[in-house]
Amino acid sequence: MLRCEGATLDYGSYRALSGVSIHVDKGELVVMLGANGAGKSSLFLAISGLRKLKAGSIRLGEHELAGRKPSQIVADGLVQCPEGRKLFPGMSVLKNLMLGAYVHRNDPEGSKPILEHVFAMFPILREKQHDTAGSLSGGQQQMVAIGRALMGRPKVLLLDEPSLGLAPLVVKQVLAAVKAINEAGTTVLLAEQNAFAALKIAHRAYVIENGHIVMEGHPDTLMGDERIRKAYIGA
Amino acid sequence: MNLSLFVQQILNGLTLGSVYALVALGLTLVYGILHIPNFSHGALFTAGAYVAFFIVGSLGANYWVGLIGAALATAAIAMLSERLVFSRLRDSPPLHDMIAAIGLLLFIEAVAHAIWGADFRRLAPPYPGIMRVAGTVLPIQRALIIAGAIGLMVALHLFLRRTVTGSTIVAMAQNREGASLVGIDLTRVSLITFAISGALAAIAAVLFAPINLISPGMGNLVILKAFVIIILGGMGSVPGAILGGMIIGFAESFGAFYISTDLKDIIAFALLVAILSLRPQGLFPAPAR
Repeated sequence: MLRCEGATLDYGSYRALSGVSIHVDKGELVVMLGANGAGKSSLFLAISGLRKLKAGSIRLGEHELAGRKPSQIVADGLVQCPEGRKLFPGMSVLKNLMLGAYVHRNDPEGSKPILEHVFAMFPILREKQHDTAGSLSGGQQQMVAIGRALMGRPKVLLLDEPSLGLAPLVVKQVLAAVKAINEAGTTVLLAEQNAFAALKIAHRAYVIENGHIVMEGHPDTLMGDERIRKAYIGA
Repeated sequence: MNLSLFVQQILNGLTLGSVYALVALGLTLVYGILHIPNFSHGALFTAGAYVAFFIVGSLGANYWVGLIGAALATAAIAMLSERLVFSRLRDSPPLHDMIAAIGLLLFIEAVAHAIWGADFRRLAPPYPGIMRVAGTVLPIQRALIIAGAIGLMVALHLFLRRTVTGSTIVAMAQNREGASLVGIDLTRVSLITFAISGALAAIAAVLFAPINLISPGMGNLVILKAFVIIILGGMGSVPGAILGGMIIGFAESFGAFYISTDLKDIIAFALLVAILSLRPQGLFPAPAR
């Protein structure tokens, strides 16, 4: 469904990604583990078209994404819920969600059931739909960000560190929602530092270090790997 | 104190404030998208006035045709400046945009100078009469300025708050990457924003021209004051631009009358220094990005 081959990205003389090759099959939930600065966000931003690759290709189905505009990539069916949420803080929760459906603006009827679905998944958002997004707690803002991404009707959903900075109970709720979204048929690529919780819901995982993919495998294999346990699980 | 003179100053303040607010609104919208102060905005004010002068003075058309023609032509100039200059500097340091903006300002001024010369030009008011308001006289042109500005502000507010296209401008100003990630196209939003800012500057200039004069440098003082206004109001804030415009307009009109006409232009800048030392974030800081 989503396939990166030899993706290479430079920031000036600093190489953020070197020859990254990954694939996410239809219906899969794949986790990308890595420390801060390992290249997770760079890869995600490149997939969404916000950073230009120096070399390599990114394909969605048969579509080449490298070189396309971010807005076209969203319309193609690849939507990202970014690290740090990147909401519109001065707008209401409802308006944030509706702007998530911007590429489907000519089909408002089609967005209604998705909005209902988002409210059913995160009932607090229905209650707070008229509050400004900036006034919400971190966990609630993360829910808005996930809901906003779902409004874009993704075939493939990228989630960059959705649990970052959240209380343990909220982390659980957010990851449960990610699992449910995947079970409902959306292909998911999830970047996480919270390796233990992420590996429990994943079908497959990659480990990225210094812009290189250093490991790929089944969650159980990674969970059993001494080095992974030390570096990412802390046990 | 003479009441009718006091009312007169209020009306003068509203007139000046309306012109300043219209110019500042465009400046603040573009700031929200580009994150740089667009110095060339003052040249759009000048360009608008000259286009109207050409349509009305040289082609002999009606004032309103001139107003609409100036708004359209200036919107086109603004869009062209976005395409040819600012969009190409999107990934360079902000200083480059600022230098380019100053270059553009000088360029447009020089073009106006080359075509129409340095002489002051006059645009005749469409309705030269006066009307009586609360015991004092109000030239119809001034009433037009006030009514036009209020109408445009309401229209702009409804556009930004109620339409999808308007929301994309606000979204882009509040979080550029977030907006791109929901599929909003930065190029499209930038073009629309520049077009609106150009049209607002031109309309302000054409409304103002009959009670002022047209010259190649006419935009300079106005743009400096517009900067004072958006700094006062909070960079990027729409209500701040309107309120800031009115504050400067009133300060000038009352200052000129009760203190001294010679000090009129100093008052805006004195006010800037005073307010910024007390409230450095401006009166209405835009929401955090």
